[in-house]
Amino acid sequence: MSVLRLERVCRYYESTPPVKALHEVDLEIEAGEMLAIVGPSGSGKSTLLNVMGTLDRPTSGRVWVDGEETSDMSDGALSGLRSSQLGFVFQGFHLMETVGIVDNVATGLLYQAVPKRQRRDRAAAALTKVGLGDRLDARPTQLSGGQRQRVAIARAIVADPALVLADEPTGNLDSSTSRDIMELFANLNQAGATIVVITHDNELADQLPRTVAMSDGQIVADRVKAISQAAGGVS
Amino acid sequence: MSQSSVRPLDLIGIGTIGLRSRPGRTALTAIGIAIGIASMVAVLGISSSSKANLIAEIDSLGTNLLQVQGGQSVLGESSPLPVSSQAMVDRIPTVTDSASVIQIATKVQRNRFEDEPNGLSVLAVGRGANKTLELEAASGKLIEGETASLPVAVLGSVAAERLGISRVADGVTVSIAGHNFAVVGILKPLTLNPDLDRSVMIGDWAAFDLLGVDANPSTIYLRVRPERIEATRPLLARTANPKAPNEVSVSRPSDALEARAKVDKGLQQLLLGLGGVALVVGGVGVANVMVISVLERRGEIGLRRALGAKRGHIRSQFVIEAATLAGIGGLIGAVLGSAVTWAYATRQGWLVDIPVTGLAYGVGGALLIGAIAGLYPASKAARLDPAEAVRPHA
Ligand SMILES: Nc1ncnc2c1ncn2[C@@H]1O[C@H](COP(=O)(O)OP(=O)(O)OP(=O)(O)O)[C@@H](O)[C@H]1O
Ligand SMILES: [Mg+2]
Repeated sequence: MSVLRLERVCRYYESTPPVKALHEVDLEIEAGEMLAIVGPSGSGKSTLLNVMGTLDRPTSGRVWVDGEETSDMSDGALSGLRSSQLGFVFQGFHLMETVGIVDNVATGLLYQAVPKRQRRDRAAAALTKVGLGDRLDARPTQLSGGQRQRVAIARAIVADPALVLADEPTGNLDSSTSRDIMELFANLNQAGATIVVITHDNELADQLPRTVAMSDGQIVADRVKAISQAAGGVS
Repeated sequence: MSQSSVRPLDLIGIGTIGLRSRPGRTALTAIGIAIGIASMVAVLGISSSSKANLIAEIDSLGTNLLQVQGGQSVLGESSPLPVSSQAMVDRIPTVTDSASVIQIATKVQRNRFEDEPNGLSVLAVGRGANKTLELEAASGKLIEGETASLPVAVLGSVAAERLGISRVADGVTVSIAGHNFAVVGILKPLTLNPDLDRSVMIGDWAAFDLLGVDANPSTIYLRVRPERIEATRPLLARTANPKAPNEVSVSRPSDALEARAKVDKGLQQLLLGLGGVALVVGGVGVANVMVISVLERRGEIGLRRALGAKRGHIRSQFVIEAATLAGIGGLIGAVLGSAVTWAYATRQGWLVDIPVTGLAYGVGGALLIGAIAGLYPASKAARLDPAEAVRPHA
């Protein structure tokens, strides 16, 4: 069963002029995959990611997340789906600067009514996974940009979601830090996470096992590399 | 698919994090509410302190003084108490002291040639009056024992002023029904019975012998064992005038004073109104700051939606935040208002009486105002399109 399936998904904006941000997109992602979405600015990458993450509802077409069809779901049900099955990473890190990084990551479990102790324990474990096990007492303001994005990634994976969606997670980072973050994603993927990453950087995208290219709201290429995932490490 | 949910305690944590991360703004916004609550608490506190003080004063004078008066019959004729009424009332075991007073239908003047109306009454007072009414002489002495049959008079404080007599001296007299009475004393003002301040008292025997006054008392004053006041009161009319108990009126002078202590409502209401205006302005301030806060925190709202917050969670977060913000103002206001009350009452030498229920209402009211003020910004926040909210702002 696929983690995510889009069927003839359209997302039109009734602005002037009207915009077809997504037009008849079909896409299927299996558990354990890691793929990049690439394409020029305005091609519909973020719109696609938001529709995949149920933050946005398609104008037409259908979306399945973890086998469940989402078009008839209420706001409450979609929120439940996001809290348990989906993890998000954004270009801006969206960290609370007045609380420590453990509490920031623990927010990823807040809307599942997990007790506080357990939230913090799982947050510490997630921070260790992203390489910040020795900085648990830090606040976001004491960290570099790359480290902050690691905190945001820990928050996205703390609930063990079926799918991690990252919209230009390296957009605010220099190229060497960007490579480190992509390597982190690759490691998490190898540990079992299913990950979708939007990037402008073709070089980074080329190192991933699968690349989906967008243009004008449509998927224009969907390449799966012949190389095995194990050999597809990023250096 | 199960819906997302938040533990109630966590909801409070979420609802206050915005305030904790902007302490300066929080404090400034809370000030408006604080001023409103402080002024209301101070107004209530000061007036209840002044009332508490007055009541304590009345208590020290004795709330156990009762007054039995002959009244009017159904036909409108005046109906004085029977001559024996004081003796009858004295037989009630809970009555500790009593005095009968006869209102004499005549005028009192400085001398027999004057005829200006002066509004003063002439009273014949019997034994026990000095103790029962707690009469004290500001100058001179009281009528006692043998002097009750002599032509002597004691002046109430207002009466003395109106007659132009400031202190007792040899040869000072007043004229009552053509007879000269020597002034032997001037009374201190009587807080419980201000009517008596406007009277001239003579001994009852002098009144009978010299003026031929009837012995029917107009009023009997009595002191009752303090814990038995309510039990004694209903017995008095029947005891004093068994033939016509419903023509007798029984009252308690301290009641009238306590009632008067509650009357100064006008100014209090004006000040409360001003406090209310300050509260409303404070509430608008809270709403304003919350609207700005929602605009600024679009990204945070988007992130929370991505992490699984329902619209209701976002709405609660901002309502709680607004209520807490106003509640902080309410708390500060309650403390400030209490401090002002304490300072003012202490300066006046009053008892300090801070109305605890008033404080609770103040803080509760502030919370409510905050919640109402937060409703609009919170529903704006909840209605934000999550996809729109997570987009990086240009
Ligand atoms: N709320 C909206 N109203 C109207 N048009 C919109 C709205 N949001 C996005 N669009 C349009 O939809 C199209 C796709 O936008 P989207 O953000 O998905 O592109 P993108 O590929 O993520 O671009 P970028 O690389 O710059 O992030 C663009 O033309 C954009 O202008
Ligand atoms: Mg984008």
